[in-house]
Order: sequence, then structure tokens, then C-alpha cells
Amino acid sequence: MHSRREFLKALSVAGAGAILPASELLAQQPKFKFASKAGAIDVHHHMAPPNLPGAVGGIAAGPRGAQPAGAAAAAARGGARGGDARGGGAGRGAADAAGQRGGGRGAWTPQRSIEQMDKFGIGVSLLSLTQVGNVIYDNTEKGRAACRLVNEYGAKCMADYPKRFGMFASIPFPDVEGSLKEIAYAYDTLKADGISIYTNDNQGKWPGDPAHEPIWQELNRRNAILYMHPWVPACCSNLNYGAGSFMNEIDFETSRAVISFITGGVLFKYPNLKLILAHSGGTLPVLAGRMKDRYPADKNQYIPNGLWAEFRKLYYDCAHATYKFPWAALTALVPPTQFLFGTDYSPEPIESTMDNIPDLHLSKDVLDMLERTNAEKLFPRFKA
Amino acid sequence: MNHDHCGTSRRQLLKTLGAGATLSVFGGGKLLAQEKVNKLHVKGGAIDVHHHHAPPALANGGRGAAPGPRGAAPPAATPPPAAGGRGRGRPDGLAGPWTPEKTLEQMDKFGIAVSILSMTQMGDILYRGDEQGRRNVRIGNDYGASLMQKWPKRFGLMGGVPLPDIDGVLKEIEYCYDTLKVDAIGIYTNDNKGRWPGDKYFEPMWQELNRRNGICYMHPLAPTCCSNLRYGPAAAMLEFDFDITRAVASIVVNGVMFRYPNIKFVTVHSGGAVPMLVGRMKDRVPAGSEQYLPNGLYAEVRKWYFDIAHAAFPWPFAAARAFMPPDHLMFGTDYSPEPIESTVNELPGLKLPEDFYQALGRTNAEKLFPRFKGVVI
Repeated sequence: MHSRREFLKALSVAGAGAILPASELLAQQPKFKFASKAGAIDVHHHMAPPNLPGAVGGIAAGPRGAQPAGAAAAAARGGARGGDARGGGAGRGAADAAGQRGGGRGAWTPQRSIEQMDKFGIGVSLLSLTQVGNVIYDNTEKGRAACRLVNEYGAKCMADYPKRFGMFASIPFPDVEGSLKEIAYAYDTLKADGISIYTNDNQGKWPGDPAHEPIWQELNRRNAILYMHPWVPACCSNLNYGAGSFMNEIDFETSRAVISFITGGVLFKYPNLKLILAHSGGTLPVLAGRMKDRYPADKNQYIPNGLWAEFRKLYYDCAHATYKFPWAALTALVPPTQFLFGTDYSPEPIESTMDNIPDLHLSKDVLDMLERTNAEKLFPRFKA
Repeated sequence: MNHDHCGTSRRQLLKTLGAGATLSVFGGGKLLAQEKVNKLHVKGGAIDVHHHHAPPALANGGRGAAPGPRGAAPPAATPPPAAGGRGRGRPDGLAGPWTPEKTLEQMDKFGIAVSILSMTQMGDILYRGDEQGRRNVRIGNDYGASLMQKWPKRFGLMGGVPLPDIDGVLKEIEYCYDTLKVDAIGIYTNDNKGRWPGDKYFEPMWQELNRRNGICYMHPLAPTCCSNLRYGPAAAMLEFDFDITRAVASIVVNGVMFRYPNIKFVTVHSGGAVPMLVGRMKDRVPAGSEQYLPNGLYAEVRKWYFDIAHAAFPWPFAAARAFMPPDHLMFGTDYSPEPIESTVNELPGLKLPEDFYQALGRTNAEKLFPRFKGVVI
């Protein structure tokens, strides 16, 4: 690693071109690229609306919106990670100046996304917001205005590149009235493909809380596809155990939110909702057994076919969780019909997901499902 | 106790059973029919590294758990949900307080030669940071040692320590090793005061354990931040395993293993969420921690040992097996908070190769605890 760091330092001093021939820089081919003509459908792809108050590069200010803890280190060492564990479009690592991973430095733009999508054989990306929970979930007019702003920004991306972008619109949780209005606007005016929610409402409540029920009712009526992105709750944003909350806390949240959805009876009462989880389900696949054995008995009416049957109805994007270990757990728990492709770009470089796929030795059938056919069933307008 | 809503009917059922009404409630045949014993076929008998004693002088209701939400018994103990397929009636029929005799009966039933005893959800009793905490730990350790003496071929002991009282911890480590001859030191995943084991605060404890080439057995305790989150279930469903993951991360990224390489670390439940998240953890190593990870994060995490107690389900096992070296997985049951069936009933479905099964059931643990090498049933 040292020699690489020194190398990078040299690069930033002398300028890349002076050391490496340009051809060598450009020659970095992706380790894996989808081969189909239509390309993959990426359901976990973040936009960073430039004018969102309280956010920089699509990431909220403050500890919960901060860059992944590893970012600075990764940038400095430029080692295994190529310095690309940065947050949002901002804060790119030095290695990006030299290498091609992550698509270069500077602010995120839709063009940059498309460049990356082309590089990896991704046909369509469904845009959503990343870590801005405390901006849009503030339960005031400001939250409503922020959602409106980002949804219109996303709609503009869709209009500019109709074949490349879809959108999961945001709603201003836990503001029920504001959320209902935004749902109507998102579907009826902006023609969003689904609704994006965070795993908690930023006010200490999880999705199964009765306070949120009118929102689920309305989304059920609209047969909504819900894209659930983790957001570290206040309880766990500043635990002092040595790692940033992006290391673990974010994935714990997905399991909490799912069990809240189920024990709160939301998925039972509103069966038209389709729920997509990020990161191969976070921790859910490894804990599914213990979850079943700790399921509150007074909520059994919500799992007529058992808890696992509920887990098997959910969809799981594989963003940044195609490592062999989570994949082994996920594939043992749910059928391949539930897999979706995702990348978590640009907070995460696309390589973090794609580079591992060859090692999974997926059959052609499963790879097709992961790449696009499962997503086509959810989003038929993107059918090849 | 806030888990009452979940446990009441079961408690009543148990009371009824305890009153000798078994046969009038269930047909006797039905009870017996449920009992398909998946006895282990480990040569020499298994070594169970995750087995709890419940010192009668400390335990609440004789179940070894502290009162309150964090010590609560598993919430889902009413009649089995038709749903879950294999629901939660206790197949071992455990009612009333834990006793060593009950444990031995269960061990014999399942083919377990040795259980290494530790204390379960007693963080509020043991981790008080005061004189009473020291006394409680001592009571628990002395009781565990008395069981080792009485059944030297059946029990080992992970001695507890009175965190966050570091002086008390150091004294107890000394007492545990020099007087009680424990097999390891058992800690919880946090000190019950908002600190995780990689915190500098713990340093003297690690120093001393390193000096003694100690084995650290780490059991979850839901931390105060996360004991009463209102998302539906009790903390026992998820928060225990989350805290395992936090504590492993804390130890690894803060360099405890780097500075104290003589300590061997063991944790439970197939590593909690560690095998699932370890890839993303690798990509989120905090600035400044690389110095502690000369061979990368995976290499450090793979030095851990995981017991498979209540986490031999196909999914966690697949992840743990894909990530961990095979000789770092050990058998455990989490008895008596968890029936032994929860673990052993999953094993046949895993279709483990015979040598792997033997290593998992016994020989991997023998390497850590060599005094049990010849101890067979």
C-alpha cells in the first residue's frame, strides 16, 4: 500500500500524464460488464440534486450525512479501494485523479452517471436520494419543499434522458399530509416509477408505527413500489465504537425497518405494496432464523405463512453486497426472482458491486434475472 | 417487564404444566411425538462453548437473565405460530429455574460431553461499576467453579468480570485464572455504559489478558442506546446480534488484536451480522485504522472464533462458512435461554462433511481448550 500511496502522491504532484502514458490510464477496462444489448437495470442509483439546501453533493451536512468513515483514509492510501469510498459526488479520493474507478472527481452529474452506466453495461438507473434524511424528513414545510425540489430535479433527469433514468420519488416523512400530497404529485404529474423511503422517519419511529398508516394506505391503493434506503436513526448515529455509522449501523436499519413493517401489520394489511431492500437485505438474511424465533407472538396474525414467507416476498438489490459471504446467505434464503441489480452509485463506485459478480458464478438464468428481467416485471416500461 | 405482552400466555401455560397438568393439556402422545431428538454424532461427544449457568443467588426467576427489557426472556414463547413452521414451544419442556442437573440431562440427551459455562443476559447485575457489581460477578464465578469441581469432566468456565470497573476486572481476572482455573474470560459486547471493547478505557484489561495468553469469550448485551427502540420486537430479536457486530468492529479497527496478539477472541451466533457485512466493513475501515490491519480487515476478522449457537440456520451458516476458516467455527447451544434443539435441529440439513462435523462439534474447541481433549462420553 505504501508504494501505491507514494505513487499517487507523485501523480498528484507531477500530473498523471507526465508519468503514465495516456493510453494506460484510459485502458482500465471494467472487470465485469453486462453484455446484453439493453443493459442492466440499476435500482439503487443516487442523484445529487445540486440545489438542495442543507446538503452537499447529495449528502446532508452533519454526522449522519457525512462521508463514509473510510473515505479520508481510502483517499489517502489509495489502496485496495482506489480512494473511492467517498460520499456523494463530492469528496472524491485522490486515486480518482489517476485511476478511472468511480468515474473521476468532482460533483455528481447525470452525465457522469450515464458515462459510468455505459462503461458497465447499465441501461437504466432508477434515481433516488441518498443520505439526506435530516433534510427531507424534518416534518416541516422545509421538508416538503426539499422533496418537491428533488423530485422535480429527478423528473428533469427523466425528461432529459427518458431511456436511461427512472425515479423513486421522495416523500416528506413523517408529515402525513405532505406525504400524501407528494405521492399524488409524484405519480400523477411526475410519473415516478415508485416511492423512495428511508428505514425510519428521523423522529424515532419506524415504518410500522401507526402514525404512518395513511401513507401506506394510499401507496397500497396505487400498487406502489417502495424503495427503502437505510438511514441511521438518532439512537445510533454517534455510537462511539470506533467505526463510522456507515460501516455497520446503516445495514442494521434495514432489518429493523422490515420487522417494523411486518409486526406493524403494514405488509399484511396493504399487500399491494412491493418493497425493495438495499445491500442484499443488510443483515436480514443472516438473522432471519433468529428473527423467526424472536417474533412477537401477539403479531402472528400478520404472518399467516410464517415470517420467512414474508421475507421471500421482498426484493433485494445487490448494491455493494455481492461479496461471496452475504450472497451465500441471501441466495439460501430467497429465490432468485427477488434479486435486483443495484450499485449505490455515486456514494459507492460501481466497481464495488460489479467486480465481485464473476466470482459468484451465477448461472445464465440467474444473471439475466439479476441484470434486468426481475426489474422489468416491476417496471415494465423499461422492458428491453 | 415490558415483554409481558408476549410472554404471559406462555407463562400461564408453564404454570399449568408445572402444576402437573401436562397430560390434561396435551395428549401425552402429542408431546412425545414432537420429540424427534437430533442427537449429535460427534465422536467423544460435543464440546458446547456457549452454555449458560444461572447462579441461583443472582438469577431472576432462575432463568439467568437480569430483569428488565435487556434481560428479558425471548419474547416469542407462546404456542408456536402455525406460521413459522417450527414454532417456539420449548421442546425441552424447561420450566422453573435452571439447574446443573437439567443441563447435564440435556447434554446427555444430545450427546454433549462438555459445556463451558458462562453467564447470559445479566449485564445489569454484573456490569454496574460498583462494589455490588464486583460481588455479583464473584458469586457467579464461584458458583460456576463449584460446578466445575463437582463435574470436572462435564463443565468448563468462562469467568465473568465486573466491567466497567477496571480495577475490579483486573482483580477478577487474577482470581479467575489463579484460583478458579477458568478456561477463558467472558465479557459482554459493551460495558453497559456506552463503551465498546475497542475503547481505550478497556486497555488494561486487554493488557492483562494478553499477558496471560487469555481467551476472551464475548457474549452480546443490548447496549443502552438500543434497548428500547420501538420498532416492534424486543431487543433480543436483532439488537444482540447487531452489538456483536459493533464489538467485533470495535476490537478490530481500534487495534486491540494488533496490540494484543496473544488473546484469542471467541464470539457467538455464527458471528452475528459480521459474515454478512464484512465486505462492506472492509470498505469502510476508518481513517487511521489501516496501521492495525497489516493484512487487511478480513485477515483480522478471520482470527476470531465463532460458535454456531442458534445460528446454524442455512443462511448465517452459509455466510459464516464462506468467510471463516473452517477450524474457527465451534459448536454452541445458548442453553438454557435457548433450547438446544434450536441449534442441533438445523445441523442435519446442512449436510456437513464428516470431518467438518467432527471439527465443528469438538476438535476445533479442543484446540482452544486442550484440557478437554481426553474428556469423552
